[in-house]
Amino acid sequence: MMQFVRVDTQRAYELIWDRITTLDLAPGSSINELDLAAELELSLTSVEEALKLLVHDDLVVVSPRHGLYVADINLPDLAQLSEMRLALESLCARQAAERATPDDIMVLEALRQEQTTISPEDSRRLFDVDHKFHQAIAQAAHNKYMARTLDQFFGLSLRLWYLVLPHLDFLPAAVEKHLDLVEAIKAGDADRAEAIMRDHVQSFYDKVQEILAAEGA
Amino acid sequence: MPSSYLPVDTNHNSDENLVLGIDTGGTYTDGVLLEYESRRVLASHKSLTTKRDFSIGIEAVIEGIHIEDPAAIRMVSISTTLATNAIAEGKGKRVALLLIGYDPELIASFKMENRFATPNYYYFGGGHDLYGREKEPLDLPAILARVNEIKNQVDALAVSSYFSPLNPEHENRAYEAISRVCDLPIVLGHQLSTKLGSVERATTAALNASLLAVLQDFVIAVRRAMERRQIDAPLMVVRGDGTLMSDEFAARTPVETIHSGPAASAMGGRFLSRLGDMLIVDVGGTTTDLALIQAGQVAVSEEGATVSDYKTAVKAANLLSIALGGDSHIALSRENELTIGPERVVPLAYLAWQYPHVQNRLKILSRRARNQAGPDWLEYWFLLREPKNEALIKGDKEKKLVEFLRDGPQPVPDILKHLNLFHLNQISTAELIRQEVVGKAGLTPTDLIHIDGGYTPWDVESAAYALNSFSRHLFRETDDLCRQIWSHITETIIQAIITFLTGKKVDRGDTIGHWFFQNSIYAIHPHIETGFRLRQPIIGIGAPAGIFLQEVAKIFKTELVLPAHHEVANAVGAIAGSVMVTEELLVYPHMSREGLDVIGYYVQASDERLEFEMLDEALAYARTLSRDRALGAAIRSGADNPQVVVTELTDGLDTYRIQAKAVGNPRLMR
Repeated sequence: MMQFVRVDTQRAYELIWDRITTLDLAPGSSINELDLAAELELSLTSVEEALKLLVHDDLVVVSPRHGLYVADINLPDLAQLSEMRLALESLCARQAAERATPDDIMVLEALRQEQTTISPEDSRRLFDVDHKFHQAIAQAAHNKYMARTLDQFFGLSLRLWYLVLPHLDFLPAAVEKHLDLVEAIKAGDADRAEAIMRDHVQSFYDKVQEILAAEGA
Repeated sequence: MPSSYLPVDTNHNSDENLVLGIDTGGTYTDGVLLEYESRRVLASHKSLTTKRDFSIGIEAVIEGIHIEDPAAIRMVSISTTLATNAIAEGKGKRVALLLIGYDPELIASFKMENRFATPNYYYFGGGHDLYGREKEPLDLPAILARVNEIKNQVDALAVSSYFSPLNPEHENRAYEAISRVCDLPIVLGHQLSTKLGSVERATTAALNASLLAVLQDFVIAVRRAMERRQIDAPLMVVRGDGTLMSDEFAARTPVETIHSGPAASAMGGRFLSRLGDMLIVDVGGTTTDLALIQAGQVAVSEEGATVSDYKTAVKAANLLSIALGGDSHIALSRENELTIGPERVVPLAYLAWQYPHVQNRLKILSRRARNQAGPDWLEYWFLLREPKNEALIKGDKEKKLVEFLRDGPQPVPDILKHLNLFHLNQISTAELIRQEVVGKAGLTPTDLIHIDGGYTPWDVESAAYALNSFSRHLFRETDDLCRQIWSHITETIIQAIITFLTGKKVDRGDTIGHWFFQNSIYAIHPHIETGFRLRQPIIGIGAPAGIFLQEVAKIFKTELVLPAHHEVANAVGAIAGSVMVTEELLVYPHMSREGLDVIGYYVQASDERLEFEMLDEALAYARTLSRDRALGAAIRSGADNPQVVVTELTDGLDTYRIQAKAVGNPRLMR
């Protein structure tokens, strides 16, 4: 779809998406298109069009009375997202084990390789590689509808993770699991791949939920 | 009794299609408002090109043109020198070029190492052969490892695989894998060209990657400027062959904007003169550009345009550009020889018009003794704008210079005295000039034209004083010196035209060629008369065209046509082209493993491949597929009822190139 979107709309979309995901535009805050356009140095039309796309992504909400605002983050949302991701990502891992091509495996190994070069303190980078890793597994499952759906959930989940980024000292350990996952996929062991993934995603979400609950979100 | 009739409103004209054409040239940015069908120029505006950020100049032009009803504008089209300049000045983004299946030794033996337009190129195993068969497995792990290594040091990636137009599999696999490990934009060679020449394709891919961000920023800035003026219309960009493409296509394929500016000028000359064959000479502020129009179309380089010594696969206009224009600096070289250009400066007539005290100083100068009035006194430096941040001004001397210039323009000898220097080389002014903080002014052909009375928007007297001083310094009469200057200009242009059309250079030795050239211009020999004749008329574009080219046309025994509005023909040319899209497919034999039997025929499009048993089936399918795609793409680009022409070329050995060209006028009706 992005192919048919105007150049400036695409730029606006990328910039605003970034700001929402990194919490620069705070969850629940109202959006003033004119201010945003001036700040980003883009035309108003492109910002308006980009916001429409973001509404479709569930990152921006339209309220007839209050106008546009950034979608809120809350525990019930997290619970629903977790359910979806748990179910889909486990299925993904299973299918990746069954269908991954040599090229897919090479990508997973390259990502693992990169991971080893990142220092445990660099949460931001570790987090980015983890994200790419999950996307690569989705691609390795060779089901375009699943990949597309997971992409949307990834987008929504990213915000949650930025919220807990300072607390992600458990990330290095979580990311270790990737090695086992790649081995399982390489070996074509669907059951094992599914189990590792399920455990990985579940424990991650449990931790995040703990932190959010502690923050009183 | 006749029944009453309602009077018919014969004055209401809702068929008017207003379009806005903008040309961002090297020196000036021009804009015209035209009625498309009648070609009537309704308004125009000229402003200085702001190289540091093109959008400023563009906004100035859009603000400056008188537009009564912005909503009535049906199309905006823009030509730009952005790509060509970025390549020439090395201002594109950093690119890593991944070469798959290329032979490093072969490249070195042809001394092609610096041809790739980026210093960061890497070789990997893989690639295909002349029959689209994999010659070596793709070394994907090596590619991914390298990408991980360099992704933080470059802004974009380009991938070119050997014979990828015949089989893009390795480029596609590389793309899939790389896009999962990094977020940088990736350009693939086979999507840009079906030319089999591997070095040109790789260079084109690398250039495209380096220009992506540059053109995207440009299109976004133009859109912003349009919105500020409440113009809501499709935005087209001029391709290097004069045709139009949508802004989205231009942002995706920025290499196609190489030579966009000169191509627009050529199209403008054609549009306004309504002739079919002509030599276009565009006299600008800094350069004079030559292009040829044949049968109404800009002549292109079929083998691909060469830009700044890089051989590309882009079919852009065949041009010659010389560093001689209306604002070229007339000065003396170190050997006391008259030089015109290559540097461009602000004309003294203009500077004096902006700063009246300059006129006074030039008047005083013209009365001083000769040894106190050297040509250095005719070179003025002035403050163009306040530097945005102090960091731009590196040293103390540079700071002092800027402070000094705040009081107004100063001639070079005064600057040297104030800063206690012997020569301006002793301070670093390059950055100040590049950032357009400081500008230079001097004697130029534009000043001479003021004195002649040909074109006098600015201060004629200052131009006259300056010329007087200059002539006195050379012990010449002003008339005599003027004649010499124009003669030099005429000769330079004639030489450029001959080189452009014949590929031959005029030598300086004691040869017949040199004699012939001089004799044809100056009729020196008492017994032998020689001359040239140009078969086509010369179309002059640009404000100084008339004066620059009168003599040239006479010597070439041809007509000089100065179309109405030739001063803004380049901006007119921005809307004159047709919307064109080209789709190319390759058809080639599927060879058996041993290479002895033909099993079938492949039709290879950039993203799909089909196989047919018989050649004519394959060709028929290729024709239909390419036609449909070209048509669809042209409509999406904004063409109105595009017509498609399909041509078939054979590369020999049963390999065919099927090309569908869809062309249509821009769709203006809402």
